[in-house]
Amino acid sequence: MNDREGRIESNRMVAPGYFLMEIRLRGALTRPKPGQFIMLRIPGTEVFLRRPFGIYRYEKEKLTLMYRVVGKGTERLARAKENEPVAVLGPLGKGFHIGPRDHYIVVAGGIGIAGVHSLIETLGQKALILFGCGTKEELPIIEDLAPLKPMVSTMDGSYGLEGTVVDLLDSQLKSLKGNSEIFACGPEAMLTGLKKRIMEERIPCQVLVEERMACGLGLCFGCVRETIDETEPFKRVCKEGPVFDLWQIRL
Amino acid sequence: MANTSIELFGKTLKNPVMNASGTLGYGKEIEPLWPVETMGAYVTKGLSLEPHHGNPLPRIWDQQYGMINSIGLQNVGVERFFGHYFPFFRSRRIPIIVNFFGFSDDEYIRCAERIKPHELIVALEMNLSCPNVKKGGISFGKDPEMVYAIVKRVKEATSIPVIAKLTPEVKNIGEIASAAHEGGADGFTLLNTMPAAVVDVSQMRMPLRGGLSGPVMRPIALRAVFEISKAVPVPVIGAGGIMDSTDALAFLMAGAKAVQVGTATFVDPYAIPKIVEGIGEYLTRQKCANLDPIIGCTHREDSGSR
Repeated sequence: MNDREGRIESNRMVAPGYFLMEIRLRGALTRPKPGQFIMLRIPGTEVFLRRPFGIYRYEKEKLTLMYRVVGKGTERLARAKENEPVAVLGPLGKGFHIGPRDHYIVVAGGIGIAGVHSLIETLGQKALILFGCGTKEELPIIEDLAPLKPMVSTMDGSYGLEGTVVDLLDSQLKSLKGNSEIFACGPEAMLTGLKKRIMEERIPCQVLVEERMACGLGLCFGCVRETIDETEPFKRVCKEGPVFDLWQIRL
Repeated sequence: MANTSIELFGKTLKNPVMNASGTLGYGKEIEPLWPVETMGAYVTKGLSLEPHHGNPLPRIWDQQYGMINSIGLQNVGVERFFGHYFPFFRSRRIPIIVNFFGFSDDEYIRCAERIKPHELIVALEMNLSCPNVKKGGISFGKDPEMVYAIVKRVKEATSIPVIAKLTPEVKNIGEIASAAHEGGADGFTLLNTMPAAVVDVSQMRMPLRGGLSGPVMRPIALRAVFEISKAVPVPVIGAGGIMDSTDALAFLMAGAKAVQVGTATFVDPYAIPKIVEGIGEYLTRQKCANLDPIIGCTHREDSGSR
């Protein structure tokens, strides 16, 4: 694995607070698996540590990231201009495992879509896509998924089902026959709600979790999640994750 | 090609560069990027007698010139380290320094006793920043009497050389170093992180209290290295905000025999190999055959202001 230099090709706001960034890399990454991530650094800025980002798309040395502005790092990223140099380390972590199933359900909440976007592209028509967000203002972030007909819920009811994406999932589960697997990424409350909802059926579910990271390589133990493993309960999100079996992690 | 090797406690290390404890996982994690034996020695994660799960999240926070961490010494315990991780270093013939800690005197002693001498173990590095649970949480490393007593007992419990890793959170670090030396410390690592905090103004709360590391610590560590390496006749290992080979050379010139690189690896995962290479290149450029003219060279012209 190498630390790849690259340049920002475009960096545009796609919905209020959401940005899509395209990076042209010098040299190819090892082919990323859906769910893997990269660590990004903008050299010579006030942002000291790299930041982790899910791989939204990767094709021929062109890396696309989607991010939401939430703090100092992403605020700086939003100000980044075309042609600005960046350093990219990756792909990192363990991605989703796609086993043989009758149905694949992808559940994404808000910016959680960035973590599962490449999975959705891999699954294509085989996936039922459920997306939840606050208001219809956020919908442009799933615009490119229109051909796959994602189902939508908004908290304010301005589009699709009024309620959470877990409510949306609830409305769909009864009609599914055969064996299914859920892939999910979204805020902590969404994961907790999801676990509670599918507890009874115990549907197989892989979740991509996000955490503050320093190294992204498993060196610092800064990004752990508690699991049910009694010997070593705290697993590193960057190394043993970021994709975990929902039934293994404590929520 | 200049000779970058150093002698440390009777062992030859091929260069003076190590990782700081806890910043290179259990060693193997960095191998997709570069081989661990790039360094003169690998310093283990802090090991305790029993496995330790560490602190709740968040554990890290970005600061403009460094980072604050509160990992809380998560580790698999000394037993599992030697059963599960040490064979990797043995098979590859990689020298290691074993960092360890305890929450009581007994834990320090029993942990040190479990570490059997081995040709690849260069030294034990005592983390003295640990809170002493029995004495109400006061750090072992802040009180000279406690430092003297704990180092003395550890020395009696092991035949492996003992390095005391000191905290900067003291009024007079020279006094602490003297106490450790009197207790029998064979060397020092200077410095550990500095207690620090983060306030999230928008949420009106303090999300993290932990140890500050990174470039912001460098001048503080350099001064400690300079003064203690002059005052105490044992090897000093410099640590604190070393980001590149120029920083590493500064520590060697201030009197450190070796250096440890921590936070830099998170900013640039290739920082350590770059530092190793940069030191070699500097020696060649300066036409130095080895590190002897470099280590402690500033001691000879000590006329700077206090």
